[in-house]
Amino acid sequence: MREALALIQASWRTQRSYRVSIVLSILSLGVTVLPVYFVSKALQPYVASSIANQGGNYFGFLVVGFIALIFVSTTVSSIPDAVGAGIGTGTLEALLSTRASIPSLLAGMVGYSFVWTAVKAILFLALAMVLGLHLSLAASLSGILILVLIVLAHIPFALMAASLVLAFRTTAQIPSVIMIASGLLGGVYWSMSAKIIPGWVHAMANWVPLAPGLRALRQTMLNGASLSSVMPDVLLLVGFIVMLNAIGFLAFTEALKYARRTGTLAQY
Amino acid sequence: MSGIAARDVVPTIAAVSDLSPAASDSASHAVVLDGISKSFPVRRTWGEMLRHPTLSPRAPVLQNISLAVADGEFFGLLGPNGAGKTTLFKTLATLVLPDSGTATVGGYDVVLDASKVRSVLAPVIADERSLYWRLTAFQNLELFAKLQGMRGPTVHKRVKDVLDVVGLSDTAEKIVAAFSSGMKQRLLIARALVAQPRVLLLDEPTRSLDPISARAFRTFLRDEISGRQGCTVLLATHSADEVLELCTRVAVLDRGRLLATGTTTSLARDLGEERYALFTRDAGHPALVAMVQRGVVGALTKRETEDGWERVDMELAGGMERASQIVATLVEQGVVIARFERVPLPLADLIDRIVRRSAEGASHA
Repeated sequence: MREALALIQASWRTQRSYRVSIVLSILSLGVTVLPVYFVSKALQPYVASSIANQGGNYFGFLVVGFIALIFVSTTVSSIPDAVGAGIGTGTLEALLSTRASIPSLLAGMVGYSFVWTAVKAILFLALAMVLGLHLSLAASLSGILILVLIVLAHIPFALMAASLVLAFRTTAQIPSVIMIASGLLGGVYWSMSAKIIPGWVHAMANWVPLAPGLRALRQTMLNGASLSSVMPDVLLLVGFIVMLNAIGFLAFTEALKYARRTGTLAQY
Repeated sequence: MSGIAARDVVPTIAAVSDLSPAASDSASHAVVLDGISKSFPVRRTWGEMLRHPTLSPRAPVLQNISLAVADGEFFGLLGPNGAGKTTLFKTLATLVLPDSGTATVGGYDVVLDASKVRSVLAPVIADERSLYWRLTAFQNLELFAKLQGMRGPTVHKRVKDVLDVVGLSDTAEKIVAAFSSGMKQRLLIARALVAQPRVLLLDEPTRSLDPISARAFRTFLRDEISGRQGCTVLLATHSADEVLELCTRVAVLDRGRLLATGTTTSLARDLGEERYALFTRDAGHPALVAMVQRGVVGALTKRETEDGWERVDMELAGGMERASQIVATLVEQGVVIARFERVPLPLADLIDRIVRRSAEGASHA
């Protein structure tokens, strides 16, 4: 854990040296919130009925969806990106030569991205609240827990993409596929229970971890529902985590062995 | 002249082939390699893959390498590019898995006890890009000290000590991007030293340094790292001079094969110190001609230098002692000599000789 913190601190020191990038990143949040606010206002009458059981307010619906999606985006892209950059620069080899364990190194290599995403999410929420978003702050602990479960459910996809980077220098578009599937089928922009959504799309959505995650997150954050009332969706998320993480870690371990066998840990 | 092949190389190769960790008293050896082999897949064109989809050709990179390095030794791995030096180091550093054979570092197996190996061995990864360029030298070392398991005030003390050792204390707060190549090389060494390793692997550490920095760096390696720090050092290089200057023993690798192991003294005596250049105005002097005829000196080649003197390249057995006697004799007989110096043997020639003599030794046996 301390090793991971040391790497996160190093990443922060590196990133803060790019001052313009940090300022622009924060400013872009404001640019994102405003269009979401105005578009949601315009579409509110058309979608109100389909999101009635998820807060009923389309702006809140979208804000919660976007926040979940930026965490999914960070999760599925940060690990393969960090591994790829580490191979390209040779830092991965240097890190693997230390006594730190692989999970600590991975957590440290991507930890900063998650901290920065959390900061952006908080700022995004704050701006949204200034624009009139009402959140159930009492349910924020449950919301954070569900967000953590959403992240954990997507780590296996990141590990699989990172494994492919380690072995074959490609992510096979896994992060893009997950992002598209999550965006379209996870219920970020519209409710998957809307009558206009065909049955077969609804069936496919059951295999997208973000779908139950977002349902539970919106219920708690927008409706103030308790954790026990969204337990079926939470258990579904836990099921994804248990089932997929074993595959993800196995894939990563085998890819690391493959890279050691072929001597390609530092060859991009 | 007694060649290294007949006297040292053939018996040495036979001896190391028999070496096993148990038999070699691995407790007193920092590093023991026993029959390490490694091959890598050969990259094929699309056409070759379509024609022969089931073939998976492999190129041998290390072939049955066996050697032992004693605790505290400064050991050289000499070989041209593609000899297998880096792969051997990466195997020891647990970054490459061997196909067969065993390797132990500090008594720990590099495959079975990889994490323990990493606690006693540190590779100096020569790639400057592996440093964190936007961090200062201090922050780079602080990070790696923590990754190596150090905690609390020990971290800062150790980082300061190591920066002192490599002579970077004055630039500790400067970001690495502003460092010269020499400073980055020192920082790479410092990064490896921060964990207080028993065994240090140096892969061509002076390759990006100018001659003056390289000489200063070699002095630093000999006096500080090997001398005061007491590290066992394995140095991979293609510079025979570097090995002769720094190492007590040397292994010569070529195309993945271990051609010879022995002391640098014997290597220098038998292979390196027999070529000399003599600058004279009397290249055709009878005394010199007589020496060639009697076989005292061999392989005489002459060429005129720009300042009107003649350079005579010759082979001369018997080391510096014998060379001084020859010079004294020539001067006594009236040969005007402006300069007389040893000519370093190019690595390619050295390897050629070892291969030739190894083959001669094998045919005699």
